[in-house]
Amino acid sequence: MTSNYRSWPMILALGVVTIPLVLMYVYLFVDTVTNTAPGSVVPHEFTGEHWRFLWETLPGRPSIYVATLNTFVFATATTLIVLAISSTAGYAISRLNVPFRAFFLAGVMVLHAFPTVTLIIAIFLILQFIGLYNTLIGVILVKAALELPFGIWIMKGFYDTVPWEIEMAGIQDGASRLTVWRKLVLPQVMPAVMALGIFSFLAGWSEFILPLVLAPDNKVQVLSVYLAALIADDNNFDMALFKSVGVFYVVPVIIMFLFFQGKLMSIYGGGTKG
Amino acid sequence: MLRASPDGEAMSGSRILGLLLLAPAFVFVVLFFLAPVVLTAVFALTNMSTATGITGGAYQVTQSAMRELGERHGEQALADALARVRYTVDPAGIDAATAEGASTALVSELDRKLAGESFDSRRELERAIKALDNRPRGTRALKSLSALFERSIVNTRFATEEEFFGAVAGLGIELNATQRAALLATTYTGWTWTSENFSRMFSLPDTKRTFLNTIIYVFATLIVFNTGFALVLSIVTHYMPDRPAGIFRAIWLLPRISPPVLYVLLWKWLAWDTGFLSRILVPLGFESRNWMLDNPTNAWVFIVLINGFVGASMGMLIFSAAIKSIPVSLFYASEVDGANRWQQVRYVILPQLRWPILFITCYQSLSLLTSFEYILLATEGGPGGATKVWALAAYLTALNNYAGNLEYGYGAALALVLVVVGVILSLAYLRLFDFKSLVAPPPIEQ
Amino acid sequence: MRILLEKFTKSFGSLTVIDEMDLEIDDGEMVALLGPSGCGKSTTLFAICGIHRVSGGRILFGDRDVSSVPSQQRNVGVVFQSYALYPHLTVAQNIGFPLMIRKESNADIARKVDEIAELVHIGNLLERRPAQLSGGQQQRVALARALVRKPDVLLLDEPLANLDAKLRLEMRSEIRRIQRETGITAVLVTHDQVEAMSMCDRIAIMNEGRIVQIAEPMEMYDNPASDFVAGFLGNPPIAFVDGVVTNGRFATASGAMTVSLPFNAGERERKIRLGIRPEFFRPGGTQPVAGKITFVEAQGRETLYDVALEDGQILRSIQTATNAATVGEKVNWGIDVERILMFDEDGARL
Repeated sequence: MTSNYRSWPMILALGVVTIPLVLMYVYLFVDTVTNTAPGSVVPHEFTGEHWRFLWETLPGRPSIYVATLNTFVFATATTLIVLAISSTAGYAISRLNVPFRAFFLAGVMVLHAFPTVTLIIAIFLILQFIGLYNTLIGVILVKAALELPFGIWIMKGFYDTVPWEIEMAGIQDGASRLTVWRKLVLPQVMPAVMALGIFSFLAGWSEFILPLVLAPDNKVQVLSVYLAALIADDNNFDMALFKSVGVFYVVPVIIMFLFFQGKLMSIYGGGTKG
Repeated sequence: MLRASPDGEAMSGSRILGLLLLAPAFVFVVLFFLAPVVLTAVFALTNMSTATGITGGAYQVTQSAMRELGERHGEQALADALARVRYTVDPAGIDAATAEGASTALVSELDRKLAGESFDSRRELERAIKALDNRPRGTRALKSLSALFERSIVNTRFATEEEFFGAVAGLGIELNATQRAALLATTYTGWTWTSENFSRMFSLPDTKRTFLNTIIYVFATLIVFNTGFALVLSIVTHYMPDRPAGIFRAIWLLPRISPPVLYVLLWKWLAWDTGFLSRILVPLGFESRNWMLDNPTNAWVFIVLINGFVGASMGMLIFSAAIKSIPVSLFYASEVDGANRWQQVRYVILPQLRWPILFITCYQSLSLLTSFEYILLATEGGPGGATKVWALAAYLTALNNYAGNLEYGYGAALALVLVVVGVILSLAYLRLFDFKSLVAPPPIEQ
Repeated sequence: MRILLEKFTKSFGSLTVIDEMDLEIDDGEMVALLGPSGCGKSTTLFAICGIHRVSGGRILFGDRDVSSVPSQQRNVGVVFQSYALYPHLTVAQNIGFPLMIRKESNADIARKVDEIAELVHIGNLLERRPAQLSGGQQQRVALARALVRKPDVLLLDEPLANLDAKLRLEMRSEIRRIQRETGITAVLVTHDQVEAMSMCDRIAIMNEGRIVQIAEPMEMYDNPASDFVAGFLGNPPIAFVDGVVTNGRFATASGAMTVSLPFNAGERERKIRLGIRPEFFRPGGTQPVAGKITFVEAQGRETLYDVALEDGQILRSIQTATNAATVGEKVNWGIDVERILMFDEDGARL
């Protein structure tokens, strides 16, 4: 902060604590393209064999590309639903004179603060009842619903920062509330919509429990379930293969993180699960 | 010209728009929050499981049903009668004999002399068949023929009460009213209403252990990492130039942005028998083992580390933002006054972080209480249930266990406890953080 | 267009902010609503433009009752304190927005925007965005946007509060010029008496939800209806001295100041309060008062003095900057008694 205190002891101390984390991630990448002799920590040769899942389908598993496509569809569809619904509902709660507004807001806050994965048993049975078990649509709807309170809450917060006078000016200029929202307010919160979109996409991309419970079949399998099933299979233990699939799985996430770090931090800091 | 009373038409414009904009969210909330909460409560009062199914049930005389009939209802004689195998020469059996290739003469003689007769044992039936003129030659042929007339209602599923009682009557068993009721209760394979889940929850020693595990998990992770280490991270990076501070924050965000499956895989790689820890420690004379699952203490250390590394980042971001909002002049002033770094932290930074710390504590206590994803991936509650927390117990009971019988009812009861605790806590937190200030009425009154 | 408020009442929940207020503003007139913060002037403005709904009474534009007409259909132009320009639109799009909402043709919009931009002198800024403009320029854009669709009424909510002193001076005369040129009926909400006096035809002074006095600026300055009005108008502010009047002779309780008043305040002894504007307390004034200088503020052309009487009450004097009196000096300046304002115990003008 100020020059009165030296910063290197801080950097050194935190550096030491951070080593395990750095090691884990460095070896994640190194191990996918090298072989290491048992008992050693230094790789002795390069190899591409750990990436064989890219050109041959592993026994008993769906093709990695099917799983990737499923994951992409899952994450994208959830994101679109979350964005559409949170940007409208957030505005209504933030700005409009809706009856029971306080009640809605309290509801959203309780749901937002309340990790809903405990409801998964009931949801599992509901999906079975309505025949959406083991379908992408079912798990997409559920994931979108579980993300909604957070999305509405975040959007409400961003709408709150748009000056009321902008809205009053729009009304004086003759615009209806709907037009004011679409033409004047929504453009102001576009950065927030972007940030929420990226966040939702990453959340969908990473989701594990919901697809595991609600859509475990090979046809609709997503990468998280694919990787977990691979790891859980005791007969084919191959850490380097797991890691290669893992890298394949995590690289899009890391790229998005690097590009949108600032935006994401504003959302992660805004209060999320975990 | 639009004319309206002050609370009438003109105002309804924004109301209707508001309701329209809220409608989709409302539908989702009802379908996937309210309905599941209600259903969780409903399921908690049933004995639903894989065995009972979730739709309706059928009536089936099973071994366990008959045991229950004898033990619970004192109808051992009835149970034995139902379980007994009979041999009856009925049209179905005779048709089967034709199909199996029995001679026409034998079939017609069977039909003529034995049709409708019932035998208590196979030997009696076979004796009767041997007495026939066209009896089959050889013991094997006799045995396969008599097998065709073996009749039992054991393990047959009857969709309705009528069919079931019809079949029982077909065995020649007369039932009185109590016997009927007892029989229906014991042979019904579908789910029924019961409060047993809760009495079971309170009586099982497992519950107490799971409860204690949950307390350990929430508090250890919360205190050590989600607030404690998050504070350290935000304060230490505050005393750094921007560049290293940014790098450290980005690294500590990695666990949060990594998909859980991959992130836990990295820890497994660290802890596996042939993993990184073993490779380093074996040359130092330690024995190679799975460091994560070796003993309960180790498992707990790993569980707290795994969750804590993820949880620390949210506190780090929020505390960092709060520190950033402290006016720089305050830091200068305290330094001019001769404060050392620790005093600056103690008297300038920490007082400003009171509310953020309270917020993180409240928020994350709730998140931790109901999260189980990382534990499921890392230890699955092991070794021997040592790290099984409440949410995980509910999940394993209802949706995934080795025994294969998924107990939806009992799992829902476990989950319901969390739902209730969660709602109570979040309402309490709402009060704490002054909910009213968030719902000031909108100034545009139309 | 004439604006008429009849028994206008506004309450928020159980709190009544404005109770049965009457106000008439003539066609083409510019009226200031002047008062301290929280006096209800902004609430009145918001009710005129329709953002707030009236709780009682009527608001008429001309002969048309607009009390229940939504903002969108009232044809009122508003300039907000923060200007409320739409950040994502260019200046031209900002000004053209009301026309676009009315679905006018692009050619019409472009022509009208150009016209109004000429009027407010921002013709060269049309392609910029609000963030690239200075405060004064933003102000002009906001005015242009409010005027472009030829509103019946122009409302200005503290339009100069966010400008620095020099710009404020400039925009004062600019707004007045534009209002005169367009001949539009305008209401200015402000807490700054200089703004109100210099820009408006009439001033309505408000306090605690009611109009205390409404008059032309100089008339109000010379003949305030109450000590509140007298205290609100004038810079530097008027000084008040409390005391007792008997037979036309005023004395403070301690006798530190006595003057004979030219007005008949009745025979009986009664408590009154005198208001003495700084320009009427000076060397050479008609009735001398002794005091000690406690504060001197050189303002350049003029110098302001605080003079404490023996009992601690303060008189203020403003003089051309020639006198070299200093703090602590005892002076014996005079009051122009015929210009003294006299109020009764409750503050009403006598």
